[in-house]
Amino acid sequence: MTPIAGTKPESKGPRRRATRAAWLLLTPLLVWLLLFVVIPSVALAFYSVATYAGLGEVTWTPSFEAYQKAWDSVPRVALWRSVYLALGTTVLCVIIGYPVAYFIGRAPERWRNLMLMLVMIPFWTSFIIRIYAWIIILRNEGLLNGMLQSMNLISDPLSLFPSQTAVFIGMVYSFLPFMILPIYGSVEKLDNALIEAAFDLGAGPVRAFQRIIVPLTQPGIVAGILLVFIPAVGTYAVSDVLSGRRVELIGNLIETQFRGKGGNWPYGAAMGISLLVMFVIAFWLSSIFAKSQQEQ
Amino acid sequence: MALRMPQGMRLVNWLLGGWSIVVLLFLYLPIVVLIVYSFNASPRGIGFPGVTLEWYRALIQEDELELLVPLRNSLIIAVIVTFVSSLMGTIGAWLLYQYRYRFERSLSTLILTPMIVPEVIMGISFLLLFSNLGVDNGWVRTIIAHITFCFPFVLVAVQARLSGLDPSLMEAAMDLGARPHVAFIKVIVPYLLPAIVSGALMSFTLSMDEVVVTWFTYDDSSQTLPVKLFGIASRRGYRPELNVVSTLLILFTVVMVILTHWIGRATATKPQN
Amino acid sequence: MRIFRMTLCIAMAMLLAVGCKKETDTPATPAGTGAAATPKIGGELKILVWSEYIPNSVIEGFEKESGVKVRKKEYGSNEEMLNLLKGESYDIVQPSEYAIEYMIAKDMLQPIDPAKIPLMSNVLPNFLSMSFDPGNKYSVPYMAGTVGIIYNSEKIKEPITGFKDVFQAKYKGRLIVLNDSRELVSWALSTLGKDMNDTTPANLAAVKPLLEAWIPLVAFFDSDSPKDKLLAGDADIGIVWGGEGALILAEEGEAEGKWKWTLPSEGAHLFIDSFAVPKASKNAAAAHAFINYILRPEVNVKIHDDFPYLNPNGEGRKLLTPEQIGNVASFPPDDALKAMKVFRNIPDEQTAAMEELISEIKK
Repeated sequence: MTPIAGTKPESKGPRRRATRAAWLLLTPLLVWLLLFVVIPSVALAFYSVATYAGLGEVTWTPSFEAYQKAWDSVPRVALWRSVYLALGTTVLCVIIGYPVAYFIGRAPERWRNLMLMLVMIPFWTSFIIRIYAWIIILRNEGLLNGMLQSMNLISDPLSLFPSQTAVFIGMVYSFLPFMILPIYGSVEKLDNALIEAAFDLGAGPVRAFQRIIVPLTQPGIVAGILLVFIPAVGTYAVSDVLSGRRVELIGNLIETQFRGKGGNWPYGAAMGISLLVMFVIAFWLSSIFAKSQQEQ
Repeated sequence: MALRMPQGMRLVNWLLGGWSIVVLLFLYLPIVVLIVYSFNASPRGIGFPGVTLEWYRALIQEDELELLVPLRNSLIIAVIVTFVSSLMGTIGAWLLYQYRYRFERSLSTLILTPMIVPEVIMGISFLLLFSNLGVDNGWVRTIIAHITFCFPFVLVAVQARLSGLDPSLMEAAMDLGARPHVAFIKVIVPYLLPAIVSGALMSFTLSMDEVVVTWFTYDDSSQTLPVKLFGIASRRGYRPELNVVSTLLILFTVVMVILTHWIGRATATKPQN
Repeated sequence: MRIFRMTLCIAMAMLLAVGCKKETDTPATPAGTGAAATPKIGGELKILVWSEYIPNSVIEGFEKESGVKVRKKEYGSNEEMLNLLKGESYDIVQPSEYAIEYMIAKDMLQPIDPAKIPLMSNVLPNFLSMSFDPGNKYSVPYMAGTVGIIYNSEKIKEPITGFKDVFQAKYKGRLIVLNDSRELVSWALSTLGKDMNDTTPANLAAVKPLLEAWIPLVAFFDSDSPKDKLLAGDADIGIVWGGEGALILAEEGEAEGKWKWTLPSEGAHLFIDSFAVPKASKNAAAAHAFINYILRPEVNVKIHDDFPYLNPNGEGRKLLTPEQIGNVASFPPDDALKAMKVFRNIPDEQTAAMEELISEIKK
C-alpha cells in the first residue's frame, strides 16, 4: 500500500517571482551565508591543496600530498571508527527516540510544549559536566556498580568506564534531542482522520505503525538521521572522556592539526574537505530520496 | 477531538508513555547526579562523606576558579545570538515562503549546511577565515560563529509553521488597508510566534552549550562557560564548583522556562480564521 | 514579541546580577614582602601561557600592584604556542625547555635584562644555566618537574620500580599514563637503554614493538588530571607528572603508605617550564616586572600550593610546610636529580614521526 499524502493540507502561499525588493531584503542573509559559510569552506579547500611547511606554516604551492596523507591508513581507520560510532548512535537514537517523539506528538496540545521543554532542559547544562556525571555513574566504584552490588546482583563491578559501551551511552545521550525534535515535527503534522481511517479499516496498531505512521513521518526520520549521523562522525569529545583517549577518531586527528601538536594544516584541511564532500553527497542523496518519496 | 482507537492502540499508547518516562529518567539521571554532587562534601567527588553548602559559598564569594565571568559571557553571547538568529531566521523563512528565488535549492543547502556540518570542521574553517582576515576579537568571532549555526534552526522551525498558514490571512489584512510590512508584523508574526519562540529557545540552548566551535574562536576575555568548564575539568580535574555552576544554570533555565510558559499562556493569541 | 521582550529582560537582569557580583568582590591584596613593591607601570601585558597553570590570585595580585592589565591566552602544547605567536605579539611566553632551545635558535626571544629581575637570585643554582639556555640569557625558570610512577600499594602487592614492572599483561586495564607521544617514546627508549633524545627513525622502529605491547594495556591516556582517576580507583598504576603524584600523596597522607611513588629505574627526565619575552613584545618593562613578581617567595608559595612540582625557587621553598617539602613526588632525592637529563629540541620531522607512530599503534 503506497503511502498517500496524509499530512494536513499544505498551503502553498502566493509564491510570486522574486522582485528587486525581495532580493534586496534577502541580501543580508545572502551576505551572511557567503561570508560565513561559503568563504570559510573555500578557505578550507585552498589550504587542503597547499604544501605543509612546518608547524602551522604553509607554502602556497599547489599539491595533493595533503590528500594522500588524509587517505592514508591512520586517518582511514579513524574515519571508519567514527562512522561506526556515528552509525550505532544514529540507529540507537532512532529506536529510542521515535517512540518518545510519537508519544509527545500525539499528546494533548497543552502538554506537548511542556514535554518538549522537559526533553530540552538537560541540555542547558554544560555538555562536559553531563558527560562527567556519567563517569560518576558508570565507574568501577560508581553509582551503578554500587547499586547493583548492594542489591547483590553482581559480585565484581561491571567494567563500564572506560569502555565502548560508555561512549555509546554518552553519544546517544548527547544526540537524542536532535532525533526527537524533527520526528516530533513530523508526528505533529499527522492527520488524525487518516489514522482513524486506517483503524476503521481494521488495521491493528502494528500495521498502522508499519504501513502508515512510520512512512508518513519519514521526513522527520530522515531529518533526524542527518542531524545526528553527520555531526556524530565529527564528534570526539565524548569518546575522549569516556574511552580514556585510547582511540583516535577523525575529529581528534583534525583538531590535533589545528590546536594540538600536529600543526599540519593542509592535512587537517584535506580531511575536513573530504568529510564535507562526503556529507554533501549524503545530503544530496537524501533530498533526492525524500523528493521521490513525496512524489509517490 | 480525541482519536477513536481500537483497544490495542490504547495499550500501545500506555507503553509509549511508559517508554517516554524511562527515556526522561535516562536524560535526567546525570542531571540529578550533578545536582546531588554539588552538595557532596568530598572535594574529589569520591564517596559521599556528607552534605554541605560550602561549594556554593566558595563559588559565590570567592570564585577561585573564575567561573562567573565565563557564565556572564555565555549569557551575553547567547542573548545576542538568539536575537539576531531569530530575526534572520524569521525574515529569511518568510521571504523564501513569499517569493520564488532563483538558485533556491542551493540556497536551501547553504542554509542547512551549518546545522549538520560536524562542529570540528566548522571550527577549523572559522579559524582559517578569521586568522586570514585578521579578526582577533574573540567576542566578534564567537558571536558570528554561533549565529551561523543557530539561525538555520529558527528558519526551519518558522518554515514548518508557515506551511500551515492560511494564505487568505495576508490578503485579508491587506484588503483592510494595511501595507505589506505592517500586515506582516501585526498578523503573520503573532501566528509564527510559537515557532519563533521554539527556534529561539533552540538557539539559546545551542549557543549556551557549545564547546567545539567556540574552542576555535574564543579569546580570554570572551571565554564562554562550556569552554572554561571543559578546560578546568580536563586540566584540573574534578571540582565541586563545576557541579554548583551547572546546578545554578539548571535553576535559571527552569525558572526561565516556567516564566516563558506562563507569559506565553497569558498573551496567547489565536490566529483569526 | 512581548514574550521575547520579557525573556530578554529576565536574561539581562540575571546578567547584571552576575556581572555586578564580580565587580564587588575584590580579593584582598597581598602586601609585597621580601622585595620592593612593583612599580606602577600601567599598560597592557599579554601573556601566552599553559592552560590552567598560573593561579588566578597571582595574576590579580600583580595587576593590583602594578596597575598593568593582564590579558591571558592559553595553550595546551608548545606547538600550539608557537602557532599562536605567529598571529599576535605577546609579552610573555611560558615554553618548555626544548621549545626554548628552538626559539633561541630561531631568534624569537629577546634577552632578559637582569637588572630588572633582582629576584632571580631566589632561583636555586642547579636550575640555572641549563643546557637549553646557558647563562639564562633568555629565560627565567617557573616550575620544574619529573615524570614518575605512582601506584596503589593496597591493590598492587608487588613493588614497582620501573616501566618494565608497570607494563605487565596482568595490569591490563589498570594503567593511566601521559597522553604525550614524546614521553611514551622516551620511556621506551630508556627501557632499551638508548638516549631518550635520540629519536631517529631507526630508533623509532626499534621501540615500536615495545610500544605495541605497552599501549593496549593502558586504560587511560591523560596528561591533564590523572589524579582523579587514580584516587577514584578507575586506575591503580599511573605514569604521571610529579605534581599530580604529589597531590595524590598529599591527599592520602604518605604516612598511610597506600600510595607509593617512584622514579623509573630505567631513567627519568627533568622538565622545566620558564618565562621568556618574545622579540615582538610591546611591553617588555611590564614583562620583566611580572617575572620578578612571580619570583617572590610568597607568590611562589601560592603557585606551589596549586601545582606542587619541583619548585626551583629557594626562598619560596623556605615558606613551604614540612609535608610539602617532604613530598617525594615533588622533590626527588638529590642524587636522582643530578642524574636527570632534559628533553632537547629535535627536528620537526621527528616530532611528527613520533605522533604518527603513536597514532598508528593506538588505532
